[in-house]
Amino acid sequence: MSTREHLLSGEALGQRYALAVPQTALAGTTGSQLGRRAGNSIDFQDYREYQPGDDLRTIDWGVFARTDRLTIKLFREEVNPHLDLLLDASRSMALENTRKSAATLRLAALLGTAAENAHCTHATWLAGDGFQRAANDMMLPSAWDGLGFASRRPLDEAFTILPPRLRRLGIRVLVSDLMCPGEPLSILRRLADGAAAVFVVQLLAQADTEPPEHGNVQLVDSETGEEREIFVDATVAAQFREALARHRESWDVACRQTGARFISLVAEKLEASLPALEEAQLLVPA
Amino acid sequence: MPFLTYPLALMAAAALPALAAIYILRNRYRRREVSSLMLWQFAVLSREGGAKVNKLQLPLVFFLELLALALLVTAATGPRWQLPAHARPLVIILDDSASMLAGDSAGASAVSPNSPRTKAVVALDELLKSRKFLSIRLVLAGPKPRVLGSAVTTATEVREVLAQWTCQSPDAALDAAIALANDLGGPQSQLLVLTDHAPPGSEFSGDRVQWWAFGGTQPNLAFVNATRTTHGESDRVLLEVANYSASAVATAAYRITSGSNLLRSATLKLEPRARQRLILNLPANTPAIEAALDADNLAADNRVTLLPAVRKRIRVQNSLEDAALRSLVDKALEASGLRSSLSAAPEIILHNARATPAGTNAWGLRFLAETNAATPHTGPFIVDTAHPLARGLFLDGVVWTASTPGTNQFGLPVITAGNTPLLAVTEDALRRQQITLHLIPDRSTLTATPNWPIFFWNLLTWRARETPGLVESNFRLGSEVSVRAQTNSVQLILPGGGTRMLTKSAEEFVLEPETPGLYTVNAGNSSWQFAVNLLAPEESDLATAKSGKWGEWEKPEEARREYASVLWFFVLGALVVMVTHLFLVTHSKGRV
Repeated sequence: MSTREHLLSGEALGQRYALAVPQTALAGTTGSQLGRRAGNSIDFQDYREYQPGDDLRTIDWGVFARTDRLTIKLFREEVNPHLDLLLDASRSMALENTRKSAATLRLAALLGTAAENAHCTHATWLAGDGFQRAANDMMLPSAWDGLGFASRRPLDEAFTILPPRLRRLGIRVLVSDLMCPGEPLSILRRLADGAAAVFVVQLLAQADTEPPEHGNVQLVDSETGEEREIFVDATVAAQFREALARHRESWDVACRQTGARFISLVAEKLEASLPALEEAQLLVPA
Repeated sequence: MPFLTYPLALMAAAALPALAAIYILRNRYRRREVSSLMLWQFAVLSREGGAKVNKLQLPLVFFLELLALALLVTAATGPRWQLPAHARPLVIILDDSASMLAGDSAGASAVSPNSPRTKAVVALDELLKSRKFLSIRLVLAGPKPRVLGSAVTTATEVREVLAQWTCQSPDAALDAAIALANDLGGPQSQLLVLTDHAPPGSEFSGDRVQWWAFGGTQPNLAFVNATRTTHGESDRVLLEVANYSASAVATAAYRITSGSNLLRSATLKLEPRARQRLILNLPANTPAIEAALDADNLAADNRVTLLPAVRKRIRVQNSLEDAALRSLVDKALEASGLRSSLSAAPEIILHNARATPAGTNAWGLRFLAETNAATPHTGPFIVDTAHPLARGLFLDGVVWTASTPGTNQFGLPVITAGNTPLLAVTEDALRRQQITLHLIPDRSTLTATPNWPIFFWNLLTWRARETPGLVESNFRLGSEVSVRAQTNSVQLILPGGGTRMLTKSAEEFVLEPETPGLYTVNAGNSSWQFAVNLLAPEESDLATAKSGKWGEWEKPEEARREYASVLWFFVLGALVVMVTHLFLVTHSKGRV
């Protein structure tokens, strides 16, 4: 299946969901939802004295007539909540012989569609040689373009080279296998800074979670191309599982420290894992 | 002889590289792309796996399978292994004849340091010190070969068994002993003959046999014959002394005693290889006499003991009707010297009746002299020479007139002429012999020939043999002694004082004395004594004794016998390896 077909598939999946927007996310530019601050909506919120620079159109002339004081009306701010979707575009997300890239595309499309359903604006960032936005990412996911997983740089380096310009108080969702040697906290602090909510979705292939069968295996790092010959036996398999568990635990702990939510999915079981996104209050039924 | 009997089985060795190929292909590195190697950076590496290796890493089970396969392939080739010298059994054949004690001038009980037996023991000891054998068995070569004890391994054990090597036999059946040793030791065994003479034949081609002789040519004076027989009312003693010297004239001083009484003492002068007889008449009541020569190189043949001759006499009742015939019979019976007075129930009844005579213990000799259809026979006579009655009969020229009985109704014929039985014997229900003699004396010449007294002598001797006791009282060593007793068991007292109980298995007790000396047989209230003397001219003749070693144990053309199959070793090894393999596979939980 092509990228487009995966996006369409994800878009179809996303029709059932809407992005769960937290209250803290209701701060933004003019939009379709009422924000916490005063704005330009028609919903009256409060009065205050006129200050130079205020829009003359908001002066309540009736109050001025009665009290001879320039008073302006405050209306509830009308905002659009925003979703910043950060996709790990490294080569490991397109691990051979797995459905990892397809699942990533479907999940991204699902989240984009859910954001549309929640009347959220959304932006899609690809973490390659720095963060760059995907083409047409403001549109429906099926219109997105330029989605590829060919970067050899790990996620933490992308933050260093060119960090994403994330909207303040937006909802930020990082979709990655998190297979980067960097410290989770350094990445999460960048994500959590000014965010209304941060979700870290670890998307792993089944092959990432299970060690190879016993015997001699030549392991090839999909990003660096580094090779390692190893004899896998029961001990090694157990050590691998322990290492994976420790890795997940480190991200989970870091997420809790930064107020983020950590969700781990298996690419081959994406549809069955969607309830986990609901439990994490990332999605709600549309 | 090749190590591998079936080299074609080596083709099965192709399975070895096949197995290796399977494992190499199975264990080659499978390429696998992973998202990152960060999860494979183990702080602690496992014992067998985990480390990056540059060489081929194969599990232990591979080497076990390879080893098992190699062992099975080798076993299939029928491997044979060359036996080391000590891996073969040794069977020693000991010449038990009396001549092995030659050189013994100290007496019969002591062993001379110069005797072949002593030299053989020393040589054997040295052999056992220098070489090791899988097992050692000893075969005693007397008149009949006999295995001494069970298999032993050490020189000490051999010395203990050698205590039974007494060298008192009159003969050594070495051929039979070698055959027995060959059967005993099997085809891999090595045989060693210890004797005092050279092997038979001009060229000894011992088949795994070494023949060691330790004898030496020595002069020797010996009793070679000694008898004591009845001679009327007295006993006649005959002694024969031989000079077994190749060249020297020897003088032999001898003494004949009876208890403490010296009967005769004199010196004989004997030419080389000559014999001389001594005859002595003694009263019948003279007890045992002993004749002795001066000590020389062989003590065993310098002394003989002779007991009084056995006098068994038979009570005969002559009831023949014909006076002339009765007289002829009486003469013959008296001439035999074996007839006793009729003081008790007769043991033989001579009669003319067709009926069997009364008497529980009496044999019957029936004379049938019917003249009807009488036919004179001049031969040829058919004589059953094995029958006791026919011993010594010579019927050529004899005219034997007898009636023709038609059918033989008188038992087993002993003498026949044509189809006419002349002498027949049958045994009745009481185990009494009933003899029928068809003879018309006045028309025959039988009564005028030596056959007549011979026949009656045979008759009385046969009857005497059937009475309890011994037939003779003096025997050569190696001969069988027959004793007839009414009891089911007898006690035999040996010369050394030991006793042995014998159980009856036939009509007679048959004894085989193994050493010279006086023996006593006790059967209930009866007791009989007999003497056994060496009297073995071949053993006394030390002129043919030799020293030397013949034969080889290992011959190039017999190399095949030097190999033994070791197939079992490889099969056993394969089984052990496979069991280990199974244990590892079932208990390793995938670590191998």
